[in-house]
Amino acid sequence: MSERETARVRSLRSVELGERDVELWVVGLNHKTAPVELREKLAIGEDALGPLAERALERLPLREAVILSTCNRVELIGVAPRGEDVVAGVMSFLAEDRDLSAAAVAEHRYVHRGRQAVRHLFRVASSLDSMVVGEPQILGQLKEQYRRANESGATARVLRRCFEASFRVAKRVRTETGVATKSVSVSSAAVDLAKRIFDDLGDKTAMLIGAGKMSELAARHLLKAGIASVIVTNRSFDRAVELAREFDGTPVPFDRFPSYLPMADVVLGSVSVSGHVVGPSHMNDVLRARRRRPMFFIDLGVPRNFDPALNDLQNVYLYNIDDLARVADDHRAEREREAERAEEIVRSEAESLWRSLSARDVTPTIVALRGKLDDIRQGELDRALASLESISAGDREVLDAMTHAIVNKILHPPTKVLKEMARDENGQAAEVAEVLHRLFGLEARKGRDFGGE
Amino acid sequence: MEPLLLKTSLAAYLLGTLIGGWGILKPGNVARRGSMGALGVGFVLQGAGLVVRSIEIGTFAITTFPEQVSFFALVLAGVYLLTQVRFRLDVLAAVVGPIGFIGVLAALVAHGGAPDPPPELRSPWLFVHVTLAYLGNAAFALACLVSLVYLWEERQLKAHSVGRFLWRLPSLERLDTVNFKFLIWGFVLLTLSIVIGVLWAELYFGRFWSWEPRTIWTMIIWVIYAVLLQGRFTVGWGGRRAAALTIVGFGVLFVAFIGVNVLAPGQHADSFG
Repeated sequence: MSERETARVRSLRSVELGERDVELWVVGLNHKTAPVELREKLAIGEDALGPLAERALERLPLREAVILSTCNRVELIGVAPRGEDVVAGVMSFLAEDRDLSAAAVAEHRYVHRGRQAVRHLFRVASSLDSMVVGEPQILGQLKEQYRRANESGATARVLRRCFEASFRVAKRVRTETGVATKSVSVSSAAVDLAKRIFDDLGDKTAMLIGAGKMSELAARHLLKAGIASVIVTNRSFDRAVELAREFDGTPVPFDRFPSYLPMADVVLGSVSVSGHVVGPSHMNDVLRARRRRPMFFIDLGVPRNFDPALNDLQNVYLYNIDDLARVADDHRAEREREAERAEEIVRSEAESLWRSLSARDVTPTIVALRGKLDDIRQGELDRALASLESISAGDREVLDAMTHAIVNKILHPPTKVLKEMARDENGQAAEVAEVLHRLFGLEARKGRDFGGE
Repeated sequence: MEPLLLKTSLAAYLLGTLIGGWGILKPGNVARRGSMGALGVGFVLQGAGLVVRSIEIGTFAITTFPEQVSFFALVLAGVYLLTQVRFRLDVLAAVVGPIGFIGVLAALVAHGGAPDPPPELRSPWLFVHVTLAYLGNAAFALACLVSLVYLWEERQLKAHSVGRFLWRLPSLERLDTVNFKFLIWGFVLLTLSIVIGVLWAELYFGRFWSWEPRTIWTMIIWVIYAVLLQGRFTVGWGGRRAAALTIVGFGVLFVAFIGVNVLAPGQHADSFG
C-alpha cells in the first residue's frame, strides 16, 4: 500500500469514526413558538405516532426517534450521527406528513441539541414547559407516546435512557416541589378552598344558583374533586333541568331554592340580578336546620348575588370572584417560586444524565488503546524471550510483570484525562478520542451510540 | 442509667421538634416519618426512664411536681403518636416535641431530689388513677392544640387571606372532628379517673370525697367539659365556639394543675391519711 493510499484509507476511517459519535436532537414547535392554528394542523393522532417514528428512521439520517404530539406541542426527539444536521429534514418530514409547507412550519420551530435536548425533555416531562405549568396530564401522554415509539422499534439505548430518566425526574419534581399542587384558575381555587373547609367532598352537596358559565365550570371542578351531589336552580327552569341532567343532579324551581339551602354545603351564585338572592336574614333557619355545619358560599355573580354580611356568620364562608382570583394569583406566584426549584432539579438531573451518557463515549477508545499497547508489549516480549532461552521461569515472570507495569504507567495519565474530559465537556472528548485513534492507528470503534456497545 | 435514658430522650425530642418544624416548611413523607420516628424514640426512652425510676423508689414515680410534668409530657407524646396515624396532625409535631423536651428536663431535675412518697400512696391504685387522669389531660391538651390551629385557620379563611402556610394545615372539618374525638376521650378518661379515685378513697381512707383544691378544681374542669360536650351533642356547637371553649377548658385545667401544685402541694396527702 502506498503512502497516499494509506492516508486515504485513514481519512475514510476517520469519517467512519465520526459517524459513530451521535448527537441528541429535539426539533419541534410548541405553544410558545407556534399559534394554535398551526399546532392543530401539525398534530398527529396517537395511533400514527409509532409508524411515523419508524418512517422517520427510514427517511432521515436518524438512529432513534420518538415523536411527541399533544395539543401544545409537536416535536421529534432523535439521535443522529454527529455532524449530521437533521433540523431541516425533520421539519420538512413533519410538515409533509400533514401536507404543509416546510417553510411555514420551520418559521416556528425550536431546536435543542445535546445536553440542552436532555434538559428540554426533562422540562416537558416535569410539566415545566406546559401551558399550565404543573398540569399533570403531560407525563401520561409522554409515557404513552414513548411506549408507541418503543413498540415500533424506533428507540434504542440513548432514547430509552433519556426517557426513563425523564419519568424519574418528573416524579422527583412532583414530590419535591409544589409545582403540581396548586391550581391557578378561579374555579379550581374555589375547589381548593372548599377542601380547606371540608375534609371530604364525598358526602357534600353543591347548589348552583343560576346556571351561568362560571358556575358550571366551578361545578365541574367540584364534581371532579368528588362532590357527592349537585342541586341546580335557575330562573329559567328548563336550563336548570338541562344542566342538572348533565351533572346527574337535581333541578329545583327558582322560587323554591331557599328551602333547599340547608342541604347545600357549597353554594355557587351566578345569577344576574340586582340585589342579593341570599342574605343573613335567610340564614338563621338554614343554619339551625343544618345544626350549624359549615357552609361555603362562592359568589361568581356580577353584581354580587350574596350579601357580604354572610361572611360574618359563624361557620359561613363567603368568597366572591375577586377573592378567588386573588387566591389563584397567590397560587400562581407560589407556583413560579416552586418552578424555579423544579428547574434546578431538572438542570442538575440533565447534567448528570448527560455526563453518564457521554462518559461512556471514551470507553471503547481506552479499551482499543490498551489493546493496542498490550499487543505491542506481548509481541516484543515474545521476541525478547525467544532470544533469551536460558532464563528461568521466574525471570520470565519478572519481565512480564515489568512490561505490564510500563504499559499501565504510560496509559494511566491519558486514561484519566480522557475520562475527565468525557465527564465535563461533550465533543472535546470525542475529538481527542478521534485523534488517539488516528495517532495510534486503532481499530474503528464498535457500537453506535453514546455507550459504544 | 436513668439520666442517660433521659438525656438521650431529650435529644430525640429536640430532633423530633426540629424535623417537625422543618416539616411545616417542607411537608412530605420524609419529614413526617422523621419527626414521628424521633418523637417515638424520645417517648420510649422517657418511658424507660420512668420505669427505672419507679423501680428505684419502689413505687410509681408521680409524687413530685417535676415528675408530674414529666409524666404529662410522656402521656401527651404517647397519645399524639397513637392518634397521629389516624388524624394526620403533622403540624403538631413541632408543639408536642418541645413539651416532651420540657417534660424530660423536669424529670432530670427531679432525679434524686425527690422525697420518698408517703406510704399511703404506695399503691397500684395510684398508678391506675393517675394514668387515667393524665391520659384524659393529654387528650384535652391535644384538643386544645387542635382548636388553636382551627381558630387560626378559620380566621385566615374568613379574612380571605390565604397564605402559604394555610395549605399545609388539615381542613377545618377534620380539625373540628378530631377536636370532638379528643374531647370525648378526654372526658371519658377523666370521669373514669374520678371514679377510681373515689373508690380508692372510700376503700382505703374511709371517705369517698374530701374538699380540697385538687378535687374542687377537678370538678370544675369536669363540669366545663361536660357542658361543652353537651352543647356539641345537642345544639350542634361546632367550629369556632367549640374550639374557643376547648381552649378555655384547657386553660383552666392548666392553671389549676400548676396552681394546685405550686400553691397547695400535697397530692391529696393533706386530706388523706
